[in-house]
Amino acid sequence: MDGKNANPTILNASDLPTRRQVQRKKVASPLTSGLVPAYAQDPFASHKVEFSDSDESEDDSVVEPIDEQEIYDLIATIADPEHPLTLGELAVVNLQHIKVIDDPSAIISNVLVELTPTINHCSLATVIGLGVRVRLEQALPPRFRLDVRIREGTHATGEQVNKQLNDKERVASALENETLMGVVGKMLETCK
Amino acid sequence: MPSPRLYILSVDKDPTEASRISKQAAKQIQDKELKLLDLVQSLGEYLTDDDKTTRAKAIGYLSSVLEYLDPKTLSRQQVAVIVQFLCDRLEDETGLKETSQGLFALQKSSRFGKEEATLVSSAICKVDLQKHPQGTRFAVLTLIDGLMANQRDALKAMGGKFITSFTELVGGEKDPRNLMIVFSLVRVILVEFDIVPHIEILFDVVYCYFPITFKPPPDDPYGITAQDLKLRLRECIASTKYFAGHIFPQLIEKLDSTSLSVKKDVLQTMTACALSYGPQTISAHSTQLWDAVKFEVLNSAEEDELATGALSVIRAIAETLSFGLKSPPRAASPLARYLSGIVKECLKLLQEPQQKQAKPAGKILSKSATASTVAHSFIVEKTMPALLLIHSDADGLAKQRALMEILNLLLESTLEIFGTWGDLTAEQVLSNPLTEYTDKLFEMYSRALMGSLREEMSLRITALKGLVLLCRIRRLFQESEIGMVVQYFDQVLLEVEEKEEIKELALQGLKDISKIKPNLIMDITFPAFMAQLPDSEKEVDPSKPYIATLEALAKLSLGRSVFQVLLTRLLNKLDVVLRGKSGPMYPRAILSTLLYVLRKRPESSQEDIRTYFARLVVPLLTKTITPIVDNSSEFSDFRIMTDDSILDVTGRLFNIIIRSLDFEEQINVSRQLINIFVLGIPSDYIPKTHAEIVARDFKPLQPTANREHAGCTILFTYALAGLRREVVLSTLSIPELIQQNVELATRTAHPTQRMAHLYLIALLANKWMKKPGDSDLLQKLTADLLESVSSSILGSREYDSLVGQKLQTLLWIAKAIVVRGDRYGTEVIEKVIGLLGDKNYGPTASKGFAVLLGDDEFITKDNYAIIRPLTKQKIFTFCVPKIVEGFRTADSTTKPNYLIALSNILRNIPSTVILPELGRLLPLLLQSLDLPDPNVKSATIETLLITVTESADAMKEHISSLSARLLNACMNREENPPRIRSAALRCLGAFPGVVRTDLLLPYKRQVIRSLMAVLDDPKRNVRKEAVDCRAKWYSLDDPEN
Repeated sequence: MDGKNANPTILNASDLPTRRQVQRKKVASPLTSGLVPAYAQDPFASHKVEFSDSDESEDDSVVEPIDEQEIYDLIATIADPEHPLTLGELAVVNLQHIKVIDDPSAIISNVLVELTPTINHCSLATVIGLGVRVRLEQALPPRFRLDVRIREGTHATGEQVNKQLNDKERVASALENETLMGVVGKMLETCK
Repeated sequence: MPSPRLYILSVDKDPTEASRISKQAAKQIQDKELKLLDLVQSLGEYLTDDDKTTRAKAIGYLSSVLEYLDPKTLSRQQVAVIVQFLCDRLEDETGLKETSQGLFALQKSSRFGKEEATLVSSAICKVDLQKHPQGTRFAVLTLIDGLMANQRDALKAMGGKFITSFTELVGGEKDPRNLMIVFSLVRVILVEFDIVPHIEILFDVVYCYFPITFKPPPDDPYGITAQDLKLRLRECIASTKYFAGHIFPQLIEKLDSTSLSVKKDVLQTMTACALSYGPQTISAHSTQLWDAVKFEVLNSAEEDELATGALSVIRAIAETLSFGLKSPPRAASPLARYLSGIVKECLKLLQEPQQKQAKPAGKILSKSATASTVAHSFIVEKTMPALLLIHSDADGLAKQRALMEILNLLLESTLEIFGTWGDLTAEQVLSNPLTEYTDKLFEMYSRALMGSLREEMSLRITALKGLVLLCRIRRLFQESEIGMVVQYFDQVLLEVEEKEEIKELALQGLKDISKIKPNLIMDITFPAFMAQLPDSEKEVDPSKPYIATLEALAKLSLGRSVFQVLLTRLLNKLDVVLRGKSGPMYPRAILSTLLYVLRKRPESSQEDIRTYFARLVVPLLTKTITPIVDNSSEFSDFRIMTDDSILDVTGRLFNIIIRSLDFEEQINVSRQLINIFVLGIPSDYIPKTHAEIVARDFKPLQPTANREHAGCTILFTYALAGLRREVVLSTLSIPELIQQNVELATRTAHPTQRMAHLYLIALLANKWMKKPGDSDLLQKLTADLLESVSSSILGSREYDSLVGQKLQTLLWIAKAIVVRGDRYGTEVIEKVIGLLGDKNYGPTASKGFAVLLGDDEFITKDNYAIIRPLTKQKIFTFCVPKIVEGFRTADSTTKPNYLIALSNILRNIPSTVILPELGRLLPLLLQSLDLPDPNVKSATIETLLITVTESADAMKEHISSLSARLLNACMNREENPPRIRSAALRCLGAFPGVVRTDLLLPYKRQVIRSLMAVLDDPKRNVRKEAVDCRAKWYSLDDPEN
């Protein structure tokens, strides 16, 4: 019982939740792609349609809100400190355990992330939680209030860890610990 | 006789002179003018000289002469005497190098016998070699190497005496070049000598070098790498089974090393030993090795070098233990005992197939199964029942999938062992142990692919991959089973709800099957797909989109015979669709399908593209032209063929087919097309019923032509583009045709037709205006066009669109002559640069640089256009200083013209050309970022991005203004569309890591703080870029913290 799980269950990378499928639909058929008719290739045309208007991703009036999947994408690629795997593959981070309440009209929006350690006495739960926290603090606009916690019943000392993770002063002092930040920096290197 | 003195004096100062002297002496001996013994005697006084180097040089003289001497010159007796003499000299070790060289020269002689060999090797092995410099050691080792090659039996006869003294001689050698010789000598000894009593000494000599940690010095003259040494040492270690007891415990211990390269070396050495020590020896060590290396696999991540190395060891042991086995091993055999251990352990891990160590366990099983047919049989028989049980007991689909992944690995091994249908290799004698499970596997995989919920992506993908493997394994599935698989894949492909990912795999699966069973694709897939195509656009069923069906058909039809079928069926379909009074979309898609296949065909089959001229070009021409000249013809429903979007695809088909015709055929085609499009002469390509009417009424190049007729010009343009420039258009006056098209291009109200005329002009000017005098005609034409622009500038304050059209036409002509390197081209360009300062025509001129430098599909090498190499570079060098200067003096209303021109140039030039000019361009680029035009901005940011990554130095003075502008570009959403914002962020994010950190640190706070706002951008992609960019700036190390 050294607080390390040598043979954890892992999820297949292609099974992880992703937005990729949705994006791929937009790709045109190869039959016609690259077949811009000669007449449409006039460099002198006054309104050259290089940025097509029909493309929703180019239309700023269509707002894409920050949602659970986006939070998941931000933290699922964080590397586990002891396995050469990501938090997503180890199911430490799960899409259904992320909640976003984003109300642009309110002053404060909320993000809740619940982590599931690979074993319930995982000695690195705090470090993982800290890594997730640092990542989100760097990647989300300041109007979001973060709540990173261990999912109930998945860790022997979950309550204690949660206290550490959500105590501003303790987080701040952890961030000044060089060794700790070294570990966290390593974890964040794999973020895509 | 040349005096030894001369040689001794010159050998250091003038080696060429020294070797000339010895050559001369050698010649004299050969010509019997000089006796070798006299020469030896003349050395006498020098050999007793007090100076060591003189003594050495004296021997060097003799050795050098011996080297130049024809080996046959010396008698047996002479050889014996000189050998004895030189061996005696060995006592004076100062001349060791020279003496060895002399002996080396002598041992090449056929008169150098066994006795001499024994004498020399005994004498040389007494030397205290390691106190000499490496060059001397090299000479000695080369001598022994020579003896080993020419007098091996003599050395063998010396027995243990040679082995022990040799090992003492080379012990402690460190020089890489010498070690290469030592290793190869030791290897010969290990393989051929009676070494049993000396194993330990030899092992110590070899093993003390393991692992090789040598790093070659940067100026290493011999070019010996660590890898060379490793390989040669490994060959030594693997060359005798007597090492087994010594080496394996040592290697296993070294596996604990923390160095990746040492562990890799250990595993590769184990593999080499396992493959060469033989079954008896290996069976004694197999368990011990397996226990040692398995962790490297089980604890590995994907694509791990060490895991691969360890798998090779495991497989190599199985391969050696399989040696000589023709039938599955009996339980007590070494192979069975070895594999049983592996199977037992792996099956235990596979009970929970989703856990991390399951897949590695599967890899171990599948890799071992590739060791031999018998190993494969054993593993399949011992694991399949258990694996199938785990599958049927699995309580969730994810677990089933994980187990099927493992089964797929075993299927891959089976494919490797038994091969695929139609393989030329002999078939295995042993029957395939999977045959017993075929029905079960077929059922299980079919159910997973077709019977699970559509959303169970990864399960179904695993099943699909497995089915492809099952189909491919030679003589496993029946044809009927493969046919079923083809039907499954057809269903997946045709189902609109299926995701792209699985469709792509299904298509790839069908392609794989079409290689082994093409008949099944033609008989099952083709009819099924054709039946999906509606007969008219009105009938389109949203669940059966014709584009997807056509796409799948196209991708399956790259083979010749399949394409023939496709061509016939699609042309029939096209007629049916047209008769149903279709809109342009569907016919265009059908023609695009044919074009796709023709374009994708490999270069080798260009030949038979020609054959489609009669089947495709001629009928399409008729179907396009006859309906517009005769409303009552059978083709009257075909008028939609003159829709611009269809004409464009038809034109491309003409182009690609005509391009591959041979010269004679092209001449004929060019005449017929000119008759139809220009001269109004009846052509054989049009059916007799309509040839006359077409000749009379079809006049696309007349100003009076209506839109449908004029629109057909593009077909002529595409066709002409495909002709070789040597094909003389004898029935035409090219200048007249150009002039005519210039008129049409400037007058027509339809942009589409204008492009057809402009491309036609450019093609004619580039490919067919080559006669003397043609250049003058072109010059006059461009001068006239320029003249109308300048007179408009002088005469009026307003923009005249007719003049604008003339300027555009001019630029296309300029392009045609610039790319072929005409000097006149640069004069035109200079005038165009001059126009950038004009407020009316400057914008047109600035866009013209996209014409001059941009790529189009007509003026290309494939279309036989004249394109001089490096023209783009030349235009760049010519234009840039003028544009920079023009920009400096321009007023604020026309400054943007220069920036747009510049961006059009940069967009079309390789970055290597831009980099040297960058210092000059940066100020302009920075100002381009302030222009509202997104295209300019995009080109500028692209250039900056390349610059940052490839020539960060050029940026260092501009970081402040650059970062401010890029920040503005990603924060100001009013002016910058999402794509620009993303590009700006990418560019900003490229700074850390390439620009010196101390130059960036002053901006770190500001960048990170400003980007905080971008984290709330409405667009997800922009936010993503902002996060990445910020992370890069965060990671900049501040030395003060």
